[in-house]
Amino acid sequence: MRFTVAHPLKPATTIWPPADTMRQWLIGLLGCCAISTFATPHEHAPPVVLAPGYEDLQFDPPTAGSYQLPAMGDAADGPILDTSGQPGRLYEYLGDKATVLSFIFTTCNDVNGCPLATYVMSGVQKAVLQDPELAGQVRLVSFSFDPEKDTPAVLGRYGDQFRAEGFDWKFLTTTSEETLRPTLDAYDQWVIRDYDEAGNYLGTMSHILRVYLIDRDRRIRNIYSTSYLHADTVVNDLRTLLLQ
Amino acid sequence: MIRIFIAVLGLLVTAVSPLTQADETCMSPYMAKIVGQEDYVYIWTLGMEGVGDGEDKLVTVDVNPDSKTYGEVVHSLSVGGRNEAHHSGLTDDRRYLWASGLDTSKIFIFDIYTNPAQPKLHREIDDFVAKTGGIVGPHTNYALPGRMLITGLSNNRDHGGRTGMAEYTNDGDFITSVWMPTDDNLQGAVKSGNYADGYGYDARALPRRNVLVTSSFTGWNNYMMNLGKMMGDPEAMKRFGNTVVIWDLHARTPKKILDVPGAPLELRCAWGSRSNYCFTTTALTSKIWLIYEDDAGEWHSKPVADIGDASKIPLPVDISISADDNHLWVNTWNDGLVRLFDISDPHAPEQVFEKRIGEQINMVSQSWDGERVYFTSSLLANWDKSESGDESDVQYFKLYNWDGATLTPEFSLDFVEMGLGSPHQMRFGAHALYGSAPAKAGHDDMAAR
Repeated sequence: MRFTVAHPLKPATTIWPPADTMRQWLIGLLGCCAISTFATPHEHAPPVVLAPGYEDLQFDPPTAGSYQLPAMGDAADGPILDTSGQPGRLYEYLGDKATVLSFIFTTCNDVNGCPLATYVMSGVQKAVLQDPELAGQVRLVSFSFDPEKDTPAVLGRYGDQFRAEGFDWKFLTTTSEETLRPTLDAYDQWVIRDYDEAGNYLGTMSHILRVYLIDRDRRIRNIYSTSYLHADTVVNDLRTLLLQ
Repeated sequence: MIRIFIAVLGLLVTAVSPLTQADETCMSPYMAKIVGQEDYVYIWTLGMEGVGDGEDKLVTVDVNPDSKTYGEVVHSLSVGGRNEAHHSGLTDDRRYLWASGLDTSKIFIFDIYTNPAQPKLHREIDDFVAKTGGIVGPHTNYALPGRMLITGLSNNRDHGGRTGMAEYTNDGDFITSVWMPTDDNLQGAVKSGNYADGYGYDARALPRRNVLVTSSFTGWNNYMMNLGKMMGDPEAMKRFGNTVVIWDLHARTPKKILDVPGAPLELRCAWGSRSNYCFTTTALTSKIWLIYEDDAGEWHSKPVADIGDASKIPLPVDISISADDNHLWVNTWNDGLVRLFDISDPHAPEQVFEKRIGEQINMVSQSWDGERVYFTSSLLANWDKSESGDESDVQYFKLYNWDGATLTPEFSLDFVEMGLGSPHQMRFGAHALYGSAPAKAGHDDMAAR
């Protein structure tokens, strides 16, 4: 299966093949996918157009604390399973720290989708680890869209690839699609699951990538999507939140 | 499996092949994009007294040539009065269509995903002025991630042109508002020329440059005035916007105010990854202006082309940029012409084509591949012509096919004859955006996935 990227914009960066470091990263991110991510040259695959979040930030972000992040409503609660299979509530992971929440699924094969979210959150992790003022005040949460495939064990292995030792990055799933749906609805996170004509789930889905910045009052303070998701801007917003 | 013919920025499409590109080219870069044939055009239509029920309405036209109802109005949803229906816009996930009224400042949010053939009213915002601290005349409804940016045209203190912008969640909850910079309060922006008028109109984002661009028109006192009366009032004619503002998109703070005299209206930014520029046209001086960033990161404005003979007041209205950034359609309301400019050199556009579409042509939308070009006619209730000079229809929706050299008419709908009203902004819809296909027997039901 050939990897393609649906992108209406002309390439911000056309990387084919990606630079070694990026390639390593992407292979790591996509390694669990049952696809041949990078086509061999004879397949004449289209070039991968990488989202801006994979590049250096192309502008100087506004000074942290110099701007407002008006609340966009309350972050929702919902049932979860942690990577040990222990049931709980999402609210247990919101409120005590500034939190970056993304919805992902581990078999996602769109480099500008879930892998981008995980790549950016890894960048946030790195920046937080290097900043004493942020250390201990930030949590990352990756929440699976796909409870069927992303069991606690699968998600645990996935998370182990990206979480720095001791860092507060949680990987959460749920018991079923029915259990998950109210949470997705509350976050306005719309998903189209792909079925065959017999109604069998094909294991693929489409969704708008959204990453949420949530403050210590459990309010949503920013939403990022593919065009604007970048570790530097997220970290800038985290600093802004913590300065308020 | 139903094949999904949708390409989306930020919408993850798995197991999709082939990927072709399509859809209107003037939308928010944050928004999902259609790739392939659009199924519907949603036309936000201004009610006309004595025409049908006289109410503003969202009119849905089937534009899929494979459909049995191709070229027909398949749905019309009236909203209970006239609001000076004008612009509309889709949320980033394209599930909702926001349509606003310049007179009443109401915003109608339509659900277009439950059944794309039959939009339904999801929510009505009737406290826009109060919530925003006095902004009047919601105009552009522009998708940002998980929210909508709404530009205003006026204010509730003097109904002049000073105004602001507001943000709402996709569900319609107010988030915040900001006023345009003025001489009295530049808000930290640099006034680079003679004007800091605080007027507003359109908005477009260049996310990779962290830039938001806004243009400027006129206030409620003018846009609700009879056109002839206004044109004869020298004082009223002074009250038009002369500015484009460059904003810090992330912080929503104004950075630089550029002079663009003569009421710069629609803004269209280039799609190219290294194309740091946008176009606008000035209604009163009939020019194309380039808004561009230089190599040092500074933003500038300059006129780059004339649109017809300015002394004859062609009155440029809507514009549409091609997906490859090489061409710009420009409609001129007064002479009924559409012109095509070659903008491959953005600093020196050249007109390469023109054709008369019809009386008071106004809005233009093109498919992403540029092969289908749609036009509507209405400008403003008190500015529109009631009679045609040489044609039967003064309020129309028309589709033309573009082959790179010729615009060939495909179909035309007379909105007065059909009892609908004055058609204004067009937005595209497609079943495939929502994982469904049109029903084979028509458009009343969505097919199973």
